[in-house]
Amino acid sequence: MGSDVFEITVNVVKMLLIFLLMVQLVPILVWVERRGSAFIQNRFGPNRVGPLGLTQLLADAVKFLFKEEFVPPSSHALLYYAAPVLALVPGAIAFGGIPLSMPIEIQPFDMFGSHWGPYTFKFQSYDLNIGILFILAISSLGAYALLLAGWGSNNKYSLFGALRASAQMVSYELAMGLSLVGLLMLYQTLNFSQMIELQKGPLHFYFFGRELVVPFLPNWGIFYQPLGFLLFATAAFAETNRLPFDLPEAEGELVAGYHTEYGGLKMLMFYIGEYGHMMVASAVMTTFYFGGYELPFHLSDSLTTAVRGAFTSYNMGNVMAAMALFLVFLLKVLFFLWVFIWVRWTLPRFRYDQLMDLGWKTMLPWALANVLITAFLILVGGGGVL
Amino acid sequence: MAEIILFYFLAAVTVLTAVGVVMNENPLMSALYLVLSMLGIAGLFFLLQAPFIGAVQIMVYAGAVMVLFVLVMMLIDINKDEEKFSGGNISALFKGLTVGVFAGLLTSIILRTPMSTKILVAQQATEVVDIARLLFTKYVLAFELLGIMLLVIPVGIVALTRIRGGTHER
Repeated sequence: MGSDVFEITVNVVKMLLIFLLMVQLVPILVWVERRGSAFIQNRFGPNRVGPLGLTQLLADAVKFLFKEEFVPPSSHALLYYAAPVLALVPGAIAFGGIPLSMPIEIQPFDMFGSHWGPYTFKFQSYDLNIGILFILAISSLGAYALLLAGWGSNNKYSLFGALRASAQMVSYELAMGLSLVGLLMLYQTLNFSQMIELQKGPLHFYFFGRELVVPFLPNWGIFYQPLGFLLFATAAFAETNRLPFDLPEAEGELVAGYHTEYGGLKMLMFYIGEYGHMMVASAVMTTFYFGGYELPFHLSDSLTTAVRGAFTSYNMGNVMAAMALFLVFLLKVLFFLWVFIWVRWTLPRFRYDQLMDLGWKTMLPWALANVLITAFLILVGGGGVL
Repeated sequence: MAEIILFYFLAAVTVLTAVGVVMNENPLMSALYLVLSMLGIAGLFFLLQAPFIGAVQIMVYAGAVMVLFVLVMMLIDINKDEEKFSGGNISALFKGLTVGVFAGLLTSIILRTPMSTKILVAQQATEVVDIARLLFTKYVLAFELLGIMLLVIPVGIVALTRIRGGTHER
């Protein structure tokens, strides 16, 4: 946590802020989803409350908070209440592990009459060396929320939704993990910060002992593993239970699937969980395939020096430079979140057998082939890629 | 200090939820307790500076194996099975016996393991690269054998489901 009061305080505040960032993005995303779907379907969407319907979010929040508290009498009360909480927790924990910007270096300074030593604050809640592995592990716990919700509310539709959800999540976890392996072999690290460091500069790699440079492309993971990205993105849609893979809550056949019996704040927590998973998936995609918080080529270096130059204090300049890179990261993540919404309102839903077919018979073999081909190329073409 | 508090907290969670697994009459609830117990063990691994094993523990046991357990249990009419679950004196005797034998085995193994040398081996394998190197050089035979064992399970399941006879005779 830290060695003195200042460091511990900053770290605790940082964790809280990152959690709040995740939760506070949800109402905005709901608004984007509703307006965006309306835009795609040639409707208006919510446009009555406030400018562009933006205060609709507040009205919705108040509505969610003041709805009647209702528990189905035949439900399992503990599981019924535990499920929404469990939906929120894995996403929140996983999001904390992704570096949102560069570490902030703070030089020694004087405050409150005492001297505070040099610090380095990482722009993430915690930094594990096994980064991606931990995030995949924690996200896999999200299946319990749906299972417990389905079973705890003692409703046929809920149970069917839960069964579909967990089968789907277990199936696609496999393809998701395998699609990342190729890139992990290239990076030779599981740590997010090191991956981002490797993706700096123009596309350059070693092949049969020769260094190849493609000056007009950034050194991003997607150019090394386009198939891996496609598979990962597809699996991410399935993991977050978004259309075209939203069979767990297919409203035409299952009313609302696993959250049929939920209302008010508990329903809202399922929403936050779903959007939290989307944010984690987008952030992982950004970090793995699109250079994380760095701008392509060496633009982020010039950006940070420009921002630092605008401030006289070294520490303030560092903080603001990190903020600028954080904005870059946020923009990339928001783009992927928009893709999630865009796809939802464009593609129709899969049938259940098609879903399982895609997961097990199409994506898994392709992911395996991707791993094998990548391994072969690294072995034959020399390990000096990136 | 913080480490000691964390250790006792995690150990208490692990043991108490493990007791919950055994004592609960509802099989679904015991499965869920088992998940908590697994998470406690994963936490202990993190505390031992072995984040890789901790993460794999969560991913494999809590995230995949137990999800399937819970999934299957939801399909069973649990209320019917609850009656078969609670037994009489004879089954209690067997339960006590099993617990005693297992506890004895476990303590003897713990006492017989030369901890000082094993800890050195464990310390070599904290990073993923080191674990991979050990798995594919020193312990490659055990690793491959485990892989074959896991392969046998799906083959066996497929064979079992294809068996002719019973209600599914074709």
